[in-house]
Amino acid sequence: MAQNEHLRNFGMLAILIIVLSVLPPNLNLYQRSVIMFTMMYVVLALSWNIISGYTGYVSFGHVMFYGIGSYATAILVVDYGWHWIPTLFVGVLVSFVISLCIGFPVLRLKGPYFAIAMLGAAEGTRVVATVWDSFTHGGEGIGLPNVENSFETYFAMLVVMLVTIVVSYWVGHSRFGIRLNAIREDEIAAESLGINSTFYKLSAFALSAIFPAAAGGIQAYKVLYIDPETEFFILVTIYMKLFAMFGGKGTVIGPILGTFILYIVQEITWVKFPTAHLIAFGVFIVLVARFMPRGLMGFAIDKGWARKGMVH
Amino acid sequence: MQERAEIRSKYWLALFLVAAYTVPFAVGIYTENVFFDLQWLADLTTVILNGIMQGGVYAMFAVGLTLIFGVMRIINVAHGELVMLGAYLTWMFFFYVGIDPLLALFITLPIAFCIGLLIQKLLLNAVVGGPELTPLLITFGLGLTIIHIVEAIFTTDYRTIPYAPDALQLTETIAVSKSKIISFVMAAFISLSVFFFLKVHRIGKAIRATAQNADVAMVCGINIFHIYMITSGLAAALAVAGGALVSIQFGFNPETGVLYTLQAFAIIVLGGRGHYIGALIGGVMLAVIESLISFMIPNGTAMVEIASYGMMVFVLLIRPRGLMGPKEN
Repeated sequence: MAQNEHLRNFGMLAILIIVLSVLPPNLNLYQRSVIMFTMMYVVLALSWNIISGYTGYVSFGHVMFYGIGSYATAILVVDYGWHWIPTLFVGVLVSFVISLCIGFPVLRLKGPYFAIAMLGAAEGTRVVATVWDSFTHGGEGIGLPNVENSFETYFAMLVVMLVTIVVSYWVGHSRFGIRLNAIREDEIAAESLGINSTFYKLSAFALSAIFPAAAGGIQAYKVLYIDPETEFFILVTIYMKLFAMFGGKGTVIGPILGTFILYIVQEITWVKFPTAHLIAFGVFIVLVARFMPRGLMGFAIDKGWARKGMVH
Repeated sequence: MQERAEIRSKYWLALFLVAAYTVPFAVGIYTENVFFDLQWLADLTTVILNGIMQGGVYAMFAVGLTLIFGVMRIINVAHGELVMLGAYLTWMFFFYVGIDPLLALFITLPIAFCIGLLIQKLLLNAVVGGPELTPLLITFGLGLTIIHIVEAIFTTDYRTIPYAPDALQLTETIAVSKSKIISFVMAAFISLSVFFFLKVHRIGKAIRATAQNADVAMVCGINIFHIYMITSGLAAALAVAGGALVSIQFGFNPETGVLYTLQAFAIIVLGGRGHYIGALIGGVMLAVIESLISFMIPNGTAMVEIASYGMMVFVLLIRPRGLMGPKEN
């Protein structure tokens, strides 16, 4: 890809970051937290995209890493009295190790079996978090110290989002990403070309596991109360999957665009129609999967509004 | 070489199953929940009997899933939601119309058949044979829709149907609840009649032919899209029948369907994907191990879920064919 396209993409990113960083003082608490959660879902959708969009292993249980991160932060802050920023790194580390342990057996499964095994792994983690009373406080959850933190968490999330976008962009443009794409298209052919598919799948999986942990940690510090039901909520996986798919999986711009559009829409409808919006989301998943499997970016490419190289 | 790997995987699977059945006992001995006196042995027998009875119900909704998988190579993640829907349909007929839950099957099964037919016609016919993940996502969205529609109508409260609650005393110490026996008999009856339908009836033969090779079946003059629709309807009917049997034994709410999907999936992986009798055997095996776990491991009811996930993942890793699945899929 040409040098100036990189420059233009980074220019777009810089504008996004500048806008998001000058906004907060002008917003009220509610708007700040909506934008913070939007950024959180950008992080989640992009990291889901690394394993599922680039590598083609669709994960139905990514909420697991998010929950692990939020539990790491909550436990260290409440029970061990840490400052909250170092806990994010601990969460990332734990999530990294767990992703390697789980990924090694599970990534040998293909297609739907991987998806369902991940669903099972996430539910299993939730059960462990519920049962292991002495460490995770069990089903009663953990309450964090109540302090005004909307600015801190906002900017922390902004930094995590920036890192995630840059890493995703790098994955999309490097040899690493090309190898992941090769695995997605035909794993056996990729192996016959000398790509160590186990290594690349595992690295992609670990890479996609660390950002949700950081996002989960910040979110735990922001919402002040966590329990297994909300932190390992299957809806979080659904959201990240839907946002990434709606925008166009396997691209960098797609998940960002999808999240910014859908999360805002979801936030508005959620306030007005608490149950109906979930029904609508189910229908929406069906429609996207059935009629628009390549998402908005695929649609744009088909119409000639975007060039194929640009979106990667 | 291939043969040898094949045989080796069979032994590994056997070893894994033995280990899986031993673990509850080992944990029970470690936590001192196992006594080996007469009373405990009677309790154990009761638990195993209950497990077998429950296995009939599990098998009931697993055969629907295995049927869809065998014919179309689609994993229907909304299957558990159909089970849940069946439980609610039965509950509605029981409370608003006052029909006996088992007689209500005569009304609910045709409804379920039509639902399955419609799902297939509108959503899945176009994606059979395409990328494997598209139907997965479609049925996932469908399941979500069903859950939240039911939730909007019935709220998330747990519902139960009081039906034959008393127990049948086999000996002085061993007892099995009547509702479990009734549902086991019903499950055995329904799944065996579907089995003979598949073996004997013309449409059943067409379904099996499509499962073996859809292209050749088409050449022989079978309209495979009709067969897909009938299969889907049959699977939905089996799921709803399973739901009716669930509703007379356990409480249910809109969220319970997810667990049933996972259990059904674990069962068909264990029994062999697409294999009918395998699903029946797998159902009983999973139910027995689940009841052993909740009997002997403290805090075991929460662990029951982990049993099915672990079962599924390990069997997929050790021997993807499962107990008796066909070689290539």
